[in-house]
Amino acid sequence: MGFVRRSSIMLLFVAGVVFFPATARAILYIDINAPGGRRMPVALPPFVTAAGDAALAAGIPKVLADDLGMTALFEVIPSEAYLEKILPSHFAGKLLSFPDWKLIGAEAVVIGKVEARGDQVTVEMRLYDSTMGKMMAGRRYSGPARHVRLIAHKFANEVLYAFTGVRGIFDTEIAFSARPGKGRDKEIYVVGLDGQDARPITNNRSFNLFPRWSPDGNTLAYTSFRTGVPVVYLRNLRDGTERALVKFGNTKSPGCFSPGGDSLYASVSVDGNSDIYRVRISDAAVEKVVEGWGIEVSPSISPDGKKIAFVSNRGGSPQVYVKDLAASSGERRISHAGGYSTSPSWSPGSDRIAFTSQSGGKFSVYTVNPDGSDQRLLASGDGDSTDPSYSPDGRYVVYTFQKKGYSELRIISADGQWGKRLFSGFSGVGSPAWSPRR
Amino acid sequence: MGNGRAWKYGAAILAVMMVFAFGCAKKQAVKSTDTTPTAGAPSAEGKAPEGVVSETLKPEAGAVEAPSAGPAGTQVASVAEAAAGVAATEEKPSLFQDIRFDFDKSFIRDDAKPILAGISDYMKKNRGAKLLVEGHCDERGTSEYNMALGDRRADSARKYLVSLGVPAGALSTVSFGKEKPLDPGHNEEAWAKNRRAHFVVR
Repeated sequence: MGFVRRSSIMLLFVAGVVFFPATARAILYIDINAPGGRRMPVALPPFVTAAGDAALAAGIPKVLADDLGMTALFEVIPSEAYLEKILPSHFAGKLLSFPDWKLIGAEAVVIGKVEARGDQVTVEMRLYDSTMGKMMAGRRYSGPARHVRLIAHKFANEVLYAFTGVRGIFDTEIAFSARPGKGRDKEIYVVGLDGQDARPITNNRSFNLFPRWSPDGNTLAYTSFRTGVPVVYLRNLRDGTERALVKFGNTKSPGCFSPGGDSLYASVSVDGNSDIYRVRISDAAVEKVVEGWGIEVSPSISPDGKKIAFVSNRGGSPQVYVKDLAASSGERRISHAGGYSTSPSWSPGSDRIAFTSQSGGKFSVYTVNPDGSDQRLLASGDGDSTDPSYSPDGRYVVYTFQKKGYSELRIISADGQWGKRLFSGFSGVGSPAWSPRR
Repeated sequence: MGNGRAWKYGAAILAVMMVFAFGCAKKQAVKSTDTTPTAGAPSAEGKAPEGVVSETLKPEAGAVEAPSAGPAGTQVASVAEAAAGVAATEEKPSLFQDIRFDFDKSFIRDDAKPILAGISDYMKKNRGAKLLVEGHCDERGTSEYNMALGDRRADSARKYLVSLGVPAGALSTVSFGKEKPLDPGHNEEAWAKNRRAHFVVR
């Protein structure tokens, strides 16, 4: 390709390198598994846009900066330092003045152009390696203007991939329940990783709780009380259709889909005894998978679908257990943090389980190996930290933080080194569930 | 500063090399445009340089705003059902006092027994009356576990009433977990009030 050859010429002159990789992606610039090293300096100059679309374009570099900031691998150079102004001609053949970017220490530059037509928007973004003077990634996205932040997240994935070879999760979303008004009713919402514009999924003024994603991200299972009694529904997010899946029993809550998406693991109480069932999506056929005399709830499946973590109060207080689904016996308690441990979330990307535990009068988020070893405190604050849910790459956890009626969603990196507030503004924010990859 | 000077020289040398490099590059780019297929879908405007991949985001893609009521084609909630759901989430005045529970427990306490005996007498005198037993929890802990705990509280009240002779068919239960606190406070006094079974005669 012309581009690669062009950069090869650059390489010969600038770096004196004779042999060079055929594609940018062959180079591993950053090892994503070795945090704490030097951060790659990135420049995010303002996007090129027509005057009327400036507001639309202004938010994109911020989204990119926030996404890359989640990784602890990049450092965004403040815009006051930038020497070159990005022009429309930079998208029509004019090359960046790479020395100007290297001079301020920028090893990577992301430029972008936004064109809006009605409510449609086209965003072109390019990532350049300013040291080698070559384009590492280029994308032109078009879609509804309200998706402009989603577009920014998608390109942040490209930037991470170009430098690490690892796919990002920046375009994933978080489903949660919250009270939109002063009433007690709760609705289901979905919000992106920028925390902006939470969009309602339900609006029926009853209790809508426990959203759970199907593996393809197209369906949310949740419990609604809109008929007066709890029923687990499946909402198709693509076409808005819905059907009731779990109607038997009394109290019920979806825990997780099977990795293949063909069944839902849910807890259902019958005559005051809550057990865990596998419910087939196609015909609602039911099979009991975990039972006990007391409360068995909150199933979370291992990525290979062979084991399940759940909560049981069989020992006198709620604790997290793991069961091998193939074996008829052998349910092992894995939580040892305190007298009250609930809401396990099995990491899809690593063999680790996050859960909530009470100690010292407050709830905190812990992680533990599936065999109960190596338990660690992950998230704790001056209130209650509950309901962890892992990101699809296992690198982050979203959870609820509550203090005296105030509540918000927070994200923390799985190593506990980085965290941010994701969403606040509604009361009763809870039960966050991280979507699968897009 | 020596460093600054080195930078300037470096930048100048780079700039010279760049000019040369770009000169070559342009020729290369022109040469290759016709022969090299563009990665990804061709752009609508046909101006995308090599390497720029076009991607169209469909309005449906993961970002549908659900209509507030069930849209055409859904199999759920008629208007009447929705109204029932709303009614069920409102706190109705009760003929009977709530009974209270200990933290994370669902056994019937001694202070609840006279209340349940009174309810039992009423139900036995009023054949045909239906009683809904609601189970509730305090705000501590996770929603899902509390939903199951509230279920257990409601069921333990139901079983106690059956043991006193109330027909099982007259009783039904529902758990609201920690979603419907009676007292919105965040202290032991409020929590004690919220760990309750609430009775609604129909």
